[in-house]
Amino acid sequence: MFEEKLKELEPIFYPKSIAVVGSSAHSIKAGSIWVWSLVSAGFPGHIYPVGSRGGRIADLEIFPNLRMVPGEVDYVIVAIPRQSVLELLDDCAAKNVKAVQFFTAGFSEMDAQEGRRLEKQMLEKARQGNVRIIGPNCIGVYCPEHKIPFLMGTLGESGSVGFVSQSGGIATKLATTGIARRINYSKGVSFGNGIDLDASDFLEYLAADPKTRVIGAYLEGTRDGARLLRTMKAVAQVKPLVVWKGGRTEAGAQAALSHTGSLASSPAIWSAALKQAGAIQVNSLEELTDTLLVFQQLNSGQGTRAAIIGGLADGGGGISVSAGDACMDNGLKVPRLSLETRRELSRLLGEVGSILHNPVDVSQAQFRGLPALFQAVDSVTSDTAIDVVLIQEDMDILLPIYTWKGLEEINEFFIELRSRQDKPIIVVLPPGSAEPERLQLEQKLLAASIPVFCSMERAAKAICRLNQYACRQGAK
Amino acid sequence: MIKTRNVLAEVESKELLHKAGIPVVDTRLARTKREAVSISKQMGFPVVLKISSPDVIHKSDAGGVKLGLANATQVGKAYSEIVSSIKQAYPEAEIHGLSVQRMAGPGVEVIIGMSKDPQFGPVLMFGLGGILVEVLKDVSFRIVPVSERDARDMIREIKGYPILEGYRGQKPVSIAALEKLIVRVSQFAENNPHIAELDLNPVFAYPDKAIAVDARVVLE
Repeated sequence: MFEEKLKELEPIFYPKSIAVVGSSAHSIKAGSIWVWSLVSAGFPGHIYPVGSRGGRIADLEIFPNLRMVPGEVDYVIVAIPRQSVLELLDDCAAKNVKAVQFFTAGFSEMDAQEGRRLEKQMLEKARQGNVRIIGPNCIGVYCPEHKIPFLMGTLGESGSVGFVSQSGGIATKLATTGIARRINYSKGVSFGNGIDLDASDFLEYLAADPKTRVIGAYLEGTRDGARLLRTMKAVAQVKPLVVWKGGRTEAGAQAALSHTGSLASSPAIWSAALKQAGAIQVNSLEELTDTLLVFQQLNSGQGTRAAIIGGLADGGGGISVSAGDACMDNGLKVPRLSLETRRELSRLLGEVGSILHNPVDVSQAQFRGLPALFQAVDSVTSDTAIDVVLIQEDMDILLPIYTWKGLEEINEFFIELRSRQDKPIIVVLPPGSAEPERLQLEQKLLAASIPVFCSMERAAKAICRLNQYACRQGAK
Repeated sequence: MIKTRNVLAEVESKELLHKAGIPVVDTRLARTKREAVSISKQMGFPVVLKISSPDVIHKSDAGGVKLGLANATQVGKAYSEIVSSIKQAYPEAEIHGLSVQRMAGPGVEVIIGMSKDPQFGPVLMFGLGGILVEVLKDVSFRIVPVSERDARDMIREIKGYPILEGYRGQKPVSIAALEKLIVRVSQFAENNPHIAELDLNPVFAYPDKAIAVDARVVLE
């Protein structure tokens, strides 16, 4: 599906050469930052800075005009005032440019009448010249595989998650959160006002892209709702599609109008469209990244029957109780463990001070040694009444009892357990007073395909969404 | 504010819907008292009389509706009463006549509506009638074209769904009939892009069927 889109947008995600219009040898303009970012990211193609005053930047010649660039130009990044964009589009057509991305803002999002008129003229010129437009008012493409960073040089590892975002700020947050949480992207794109290529085009591309397994989207509005709905339906058939719609409230909707020139529909209508499309609806950056993380790290649809291991040491009681609430509130089932598992736990940990049903409080292990803890976790994980295991580790409690070395050993066990069987293990690491240690553990676990969350609520929501997709696919 | 001339009369609205295969209660316009009586006899009692005037929006509030009329005498009396109430409440109103329809038996009241969204175009709404839609806003939406699966989902999505499944010994209504009705309305909206709004309110849902009791079509 959408194979033609794959070919059509190839020069956008894998350009052989990029020209940056609005580069300057001296002042720190957006164009100059772009040149530096591409150079330091190690973009493998030609980089052609363009700026009226000429000179040099990052050891590259600045050409006074796009037409004076010696080689072929696939992709153009534009950071010049809006008065000059029409002329630039003529240059692009003359140079046989495939696509042009306008960082330039100040169109329909700012001035409904004049801005829209200018956008219309841009589109006409682009059509005549056979050039595709991304934006205006956007930061364009992110492609770690082809070493195309976002504006400030943001560049993470290449992976299997694709995203589209109407907003450049959110796109950047997705990329940086990805780096922090090991959500590795195949491609991302911020398309701003989307006067030519918009969400539908990029969703089609990502659906066809063999490098992309799951797709996230941040949308504020659409100029062609019927097409977007059709596209989302088709895309969600082949890959999980997670959508965050911004501007659901009156305040948000007004902001969306001045941000990307988006009209407001009622939140109920958007919600209906997403349900109808079979997309997974999320409502914040946290929910979006949480959901993309589980889709990246786990196979979808492994079930919602959760075992909760609430305490690995002191203070597991209250944590177990609240974790049970958090899971059930957010759609997980927390069934009783089987009789054999409970017998085994009782043998390993004793009855006093333990909670042996589910949630499980294994804090008595602190008096019986790590092997007892490991066996207890192992036995809960292998219970056939359970699809997924959630373990909460509280640094503030665990560090004084087990020391860092003990904690490392415990987490190495979780990693080993994860690698020798199929059941997902999720770790909740609530922020506290031992942040450096917590972050170190998080990175280690994430690298071993164990999703890590800050709270039980967020973990539970993400797992439910993972299953929601499988259910929908199953019911087809 | 919608200009009233864009709003089709109940009889016209129902005719249009009936032609599109949407089940509506057979409703005819009576221009005189005699006509009202003779239509009632053909349809069978009890009947309902309603004012038909483009200038009267809130028909019941103005005394423009009489329910459960059991015989010719009651129909004749109701006809005069409605006309005089309307003349009092809306002295300038243009009166086309009175609509006559068979009084529908008791069923579960639901509503189905269509309106246009600036981004997505025609959108259908489904909900339980009366207080549940007005106060609790217990409704669901889907964008046209609405598939059978979408219709099934939108019916099950409302909080009041258990009422349709039957409660306290009530028989369950035919969900299949409601699904079919929703899909038909979606097709109707798709085939008639000049229709700006549509209200089937109420639709009566029964164990074996669903039928629109009142309908209002608004043109662009």
